[in-house]
Amino acid sequence: MEFNISQSVRREDVPDKIAGIAKYIGDYKFKDMLYARTLRSTEARAIIKNIVFPKLPDGYCIVDKGDVPGRNRVKIIDYDMPFFADGVVNYIGEPIALVVGKDKRVIESILSQIRVEYQRIEPILSVEDGLNAEKPIFGDNNCFSDYTISKGDMVSAKRRAKFVYEGEYETGYQEQFYLEPQGMIGVYEEGKVSIYGSIQCPYYVKNAVEECLGFEPYRVRIVQTTTGGGFGGKEDYPSLIGGQVACAALKTKKPVCLIFERNEDIEVTTKRHPSKIRLKSYIDENYRVLGMEGDIVLDAGAYSGLSSVVLQRAMFASAGVYNIENLVVRGRAVATNKVVSGAFRGFGAPQAFFAIEMHMEHIARELGIDPFEFKLSNILRQGDRSTTGGLYRDRILLPEMVNRVIKMSSLEEKKKAFKEKRKIGKLNGIGLSMFFHGGGFTGSGERDHIKGRVRLVKDDKGYVEILVSNVEMGQGAGTTLRKIAAKTLEVPLSKIIFNNPDTDRVPDSGPTVASRTTVIVGKLVQEASEKLKERWSEDRVEVEVQYKYPEGFYWDNDRFEGDAYTSYSWGVNAVEVEVDPTTCEVKINGVWAVFDIGSAIDERIVKGQIDGGIVQGLGYASIEVMEDRSGKIMQRKSTDYTIPTSMDVPEIKSELMCEPYGGGPFGAKALGELTLVGAAPAYALAIEDALGVKINKIPVRPEHLMEVVQNGK
Amino acid sequence: MVKVYRPSNLKEALEIISSEKCTLFAGGTDLMVKGKSWSGLEPSFDRPVVFISDLDELRKIKINEFFLTIGGACTFTRIIDNSQIPDFIKEAFIMIASPGIRNMATIGGNICNSSPAGDCLPLLYAMDASVVLESIYGRREVNIEDFILGPGKNVIGWNEILTEVRIPTKNFKIRAYRKVGTRKSTALSKVSFAGLAEIEGEELKDIRFAFGAVGPTVVRSRRIEKKIVEMVSEKKLEVGEIKKMYGSIIKPIDDQRSTANYRREVCLRFVENFLMSCKWR
Ligand SMILES: Cc1cc2nc3c(=O)[nH]c(=O)nc-3n(C[C@H](O)[C@H](O)[C@H](O)COP(=O)(O)OP(=O)(O)OC[C@H]3O[C@@H](n4cnc5c(N)ncnc54)[C@H](O)[C@@H]3O)c2cc1C
Repeated sequence: MEFNISQSVRREDVPDKIAGIAKYIGDYKFKDMLYARTLRSTEARAIIKNIVFPKLPDGYCIVDKGDVPGRNRVKIIDYDMPFFADGVVNYIGEPIALVVGKDKRVIESILSQIRVEYQRIEPILSVEDGLNAEKPIFGDNNCFSDYTISKGDMVSAKRRAKFVYEGEYETGYQEQFYLEPQGMIGVYEEGKVSIYGSIQCPYYVKNAVEECLGFEPYRVRIVQTTTGGGFGGKEDYPSLIGGQVACAALKTKKPVCLIFERNEDIEVTTKRHPSKIRLKSYIDENYRVLGMEGDIVLDAGAYSGLSSVVLQRAMFASAGVYNIENLVVRGRAVATNKVVSGAFRGFGAPQAFFAIEMHMEHIARELGIDPFEFKLSNILRQGDRSTTGGLYRDRILLPEMVNRVIKMSSLEEKKKAFKEKRKIGKLNGIGLSMFFHGGGFTGSGERDHIKGRVRLVKDDKGYVEILVSNVEMGQGAGTTLRKIAAKTLEVPLSKIIFNNPDTDRVPDSGPTVASRTTVIVGKLVQEASEKLKERWSEDRVEVEVQYKYPEGFYWDNDRFEGDAYTSYSWGVNAVEVEVDPTTCEVKINGVWAVFDIGSAIDERIVKGQIDGGIVQGLGYASIEVMEDRSGKIMQRKSTDYTIPTSMDVPEIKSELMCEPYGGGPFGAKALGELTLVGAAPAYALAIEDALGVKINKIPVRPEHLMEVVQNGK
Repeated sequence: MVKVYRPSNLKEALEIISSEKCTLFAGGTDLMVKGKSWSGLEPSFDRPVVFISDLDELRKIKINEFFLTIGGACTFTRIIDNSQIPDFIKEAFIMIASPGIRNMATIGGNICNSSPAGDCLPLLYAMDASVVLESIYGRREVNIEDFILGPGKNVIGWNEILTEVRIPTKNFKIRAYRKVGTRKSTALSKVSFAGLAEIEGEELKDIRFAFGAVGPTVVRSRRIEKKIVEMVSEKKLEVGEIKKMYGSIIKPIDDQRSTANYRREVCLRFVENFLMSCKWR
């Protein structure tokens, strides 16, 4: 079938979603299904001395640590988080037990009568306390990870430097706020447990449940139900509740449904890691950044989760899009008695890019030079080396992209006009950010951990089903993968079938994370399609392919040296704001963006990711405030944790430029996360431009701006 | 199961609530949030519910030379769509929530909910509005300031319905309404502000300021307003002093939506801007 791969097609999942026919986990009603609700810790850190349960009516039960037949630890990367609290609790909201039964009212009544007796321990509530902990939560130094990367010769860079600039940057929590809260149903039938749920990574849940139950692989099956958004929030957390419903189903021998309420979901599920990043740059008389020292501290919360990899991503991105040849960066993920920080679109990169983009601008201002010239003179070029010494093999289009965004946004004219406006008290500003995102798992993760496998099955009528464990969660993966197969096979799109994965049917092609589904899995679909094409004349054909690490790349995971990624996508964003001189409220007047994501597999889907990612990034930068008081999250309701509405963001003008990646399908590169990464620094820089103040922290709250203005710049 | 009544006229409604303690349900946009329970369960109501949003007697809007009268069950949308209501009054309602909520939410509900962040309250305070409360024994009229006692607290009896809001149709040449929320739509207020002034020639006849979301109830001070009028008539307006006076009575708190410092500072800046924009100077 001849069609241009980038040309948009109708998405198959959308009509049912719009019509309300799509079945989400909350729509499933199994026969004799029971409901579960979670008993949670009300203490940030305590020993559970005793739990007094009321007398339970017939048909109701408690499921807790005593009901975990296998290992009471969730397999994520390490095994430190229990499915059910095991004598101690480490954050407010930590699950202790499930109350399970038929009638939700009775469950609530039981829950309200349970008395947990705690012996409190002084909690660790900040990273500063965590770094000097007397009673660590984890290990000796209370860090889940403590890494250093270095390259070049820092001593010589320091010696040659003429200027030194140091800054500290801070970012807050961000809640994924997927429209559909977390939810799972566990079913036990004939010795086998099936878990249905709203998830990104069926095999992560499967592996965790197998170990939780001590079951052989064939006795655990995971089925993804139509998923109303994930943004990383359904990468790690579902492994926890998947194990919980599995234990409950096993104990009751009935289907057990656990679906979170919105406020519960906001309060207890994983969020983006808050960060504190210190950068110190050494600059020569020609304004070249010779060297940089970095110190990245992430607030990991109570358990390690995915923190080690989030930290690595932040560290690898610490020099941003700049060629800094001498570098030492230390990163620590610190344990605190707070909700577990986890995966969120961007995975460490939004924190790092906020820091470096502000840092570079502040250096330029300090030196009294033009920030664009300064940035562009230090920018990465093809053939340069990354923070881990990896080679940038492909062309880097950043200078062209910057020029295009400057043109699209009339940035230069505006900067001038705004200067004039400020004289009459109008506070407009415009800011520009540059950034990248690496596609797929870091380092050799795709080769050593995931080893993704993709299967295609053609039936005798010429229909081809794509069997992968990657999920459609609103981002358009189903359509994208189908298009890749159809185009490669040269058959109509209608001949390609993509269903929600069921681990009894699909091989492990890895999780739906790390912007890998199109680049990595899509490439495997393309390869499988090529193989299938050769055997097209056969009646029923099944082909399977497995990921192969591309030749010429290299990664040393012990020393963090080599190619941290096999492909890079790039972005440039400009944001224009207007600050209300009375209230310091910030209005966004314009957003412009250019991305290099290689070739777009579907332009409308790409545009959806761009708009959504930028809005989410702008929310992160501005109104998405989440803080804790004594370990308890203050913004626990959608009333108080506000994400942007369509009224808060203008139309986003975006364009694509293309430097294809040979290893991606049709030259495609990573997209999903990239789009979020650059919005926050562009926004913060726009406010700096408008107010002439220095911003080192997001979200930028009017409350903070007011204080800065009150205290006179 | 919750027992519900759907009376067909005001009299019937009043009879129901005089014989049994009930919960009046207008748009339900506050009640449904308060009564929210585990999804799949009915919302929790501890008393029988009486639906009043369809009662014609509560949906009227009348205007004459003295009063604008808005029925207690008029929705925000109904108020916004009404051609007789002056725009500056509508402005307070346009800023509330989102179209869907405005189609349901009523002025009576906003007043009886008596939240410090109720967005129509500052304007009603500034305009000296009153509310009419009716029971089977008759009707009484209470000033809005006397009606609301504190967060969620007011003087309505369990056998009464708020049937009308009466707003004196006094003319104000200078008017300002501002709502500062966490975002542009569907956001509760960090601060809301209403300012009104009547000027004849060089003379300031009347000035009023009301502040929402900065205390247990809306803040308004007739004492300071009088002081401003005096100062202006003596041509000795000290904006700094006025701000200081308001600063001493506006005592907001830090909470999950904003900070005390921000809320107070914004209020004082609104006052300053308003005073600076008045032409008598
Ligand atoms: C998403 C969302 C956003 C919101 N945003 C805003 C906002 O921006 N600003 C704002 O101020 N509010 C906001 N609210 C709150 C709410 O919409 C308003 O307070 C609304 O005016 C309540 O009116 P109602 O008719 O829905 O009240 P209901 O919920 O029906 O009733 C509220 C209370 O008033 C009583 N009551 C209602 N009518 C009468 C009457 N005629 N006589 C006696 N008692 C009565 C009820 O018994 C109940 O106690 C929001 C609510 C939601 C859900």
